[in-house]
Amino acid sequence: MTLLQDANQDAFEALYDRHGGAAFSLAYRIVGNKAAAEDISQEAFLSIWRSRDRYRSERGSVRTWVLGIVHHRAIDGLRRNLVHDRRRASAEGIEERHEAKELTDVEVLRRDEAKQVREALDSLPDEQCHVLELAYFGGFSHSQIAEMLEAPIGTIKGRMRLGLQKMRHQLVEDVA
Amino acid sequence: MSGHSHEHSDNVAPFLLGALSDLEAQAFERHLMSCSACHEELEWLRPAAESLPRSVSPLEPPASIKGDLMETVRQEAGQAPVAPRRPWRERLPSQVRMRPAMALASAAALLAAGGLIADAVTQSPGNDSGRTVAAKTDSKRVPAASGSLIVPQGEGEGAVLRVHGMPALGSDKTYQVWLARGNERIPQSLFNVSGDGEGSGAVSDRLKGADAVLVTREPAGGGSRPSEKPVVRVPLDGS
Repeated sequence: MTLLQDANQDAFEALYDRHGGAAFSLAYRIVGNKAAAEDISQEAFLSIWRSRDRYRSERGSVRTWVLGIVHHRAIDGLRRNLVHDRRRASAEGIEERHEAKELTDVEVLRRDEAKQVREALDSLPDEQCHVLELAYFGGFSHSQIAEMLEAPIGTIKGRMRLGLQKMRHQLVEDVA
Repeated sequence: MSGHSHEHSDNVAPFLLGALSDLEAQAFERHLMSCSACHEELEWLRPAAESLPRSVSPLEPPASIKGDLMETVRQEAGQAPVAPRRPWRERLPSQVRMRPAMALASAAALLAAGGLIADAVTQSPGNDSGRTVAAKTDSKRVPAASGSLIVPQGEGEGAVLRVHGMPALGSDKTYQVWLARGNERIPQSLFNVSGDGEGSGAVSDRLKGADAVLVTREPAGGGSRPSEKPVVRVPLDGS
């Protein structure tokens, strides 16, 4: 990151090589549209390049910083462009079209990590998993989710809290 | 963590998930500054929220993304002018557009000579539930900035100002939103911008009868009256 903050293009390219796949995947997961996901990824990385001196390691990893920017832009795009009613390709379908054939060691680790987090998500009660996905990947507010699920807002907030608590226990405390 | 409970604690998880409205998120951020229990719970739950993007199976992005990106980076690193890629919002005619004034800014700056310049979009329907009014920004003090005011339908319950390309301020300063009615300046909210210069501020008072929404840079904690000329101004019709 020090090299990147000195406007080193090779360092930026390395950053993209390391996190570009995850960024595109997250954008695709959220907007469900290949062209939009490409633009969001590109805009996010340009934003990272232009604000490279604002990364602070004490606030989290580079990956968390990158994915946070991508998430913010993707959800912003969703909310501005009213594409909540998009038809999202299934995860399996996406993988068939874009999955890399040869996996590096890093990619294998990333897939293992994704599998571990998905298992933690899947282990939640359905109603908790559902609200986490609607909020984080769908960009819906708590009040929109409450209306969709015909449940009180307090119930929705409670499910979000319980869901994150259980995720935390599974992903952090079980490992420790 | 045993968890605590008071009127704000239910907002910790929605805040981490981005499920609060802009107004609610701003209010919660202010609350966080004075509530150690909420702050502690926020940090405790943060790893869980930050794990969510990692649940997505990694896909191989099209090579064109990297190619376009590196070309732009090389041009910018070499100080060459860059033709920005048209965003997908503009390529899809059915989508609502809300573009910053980047393209107009450089030309307008020559004419404005340090004054306030107009955004590329003057006014547009924001979405089904309101309208969007473009901001004017100071071309000298915030040269890369753009913004817009999102006004809910009915215009009775305030609005949200979104800004882009704003310089980050030090910890001793903050952006402050004001509502202008004649010579009166009514303080609204404080906000800071993210690492990529994006931020939003709430306007909680009614817009009816107001002349403009303003943003100034103030000492941390804000002030009771603006200490400088606004760096962002959103003109309203005053009706």
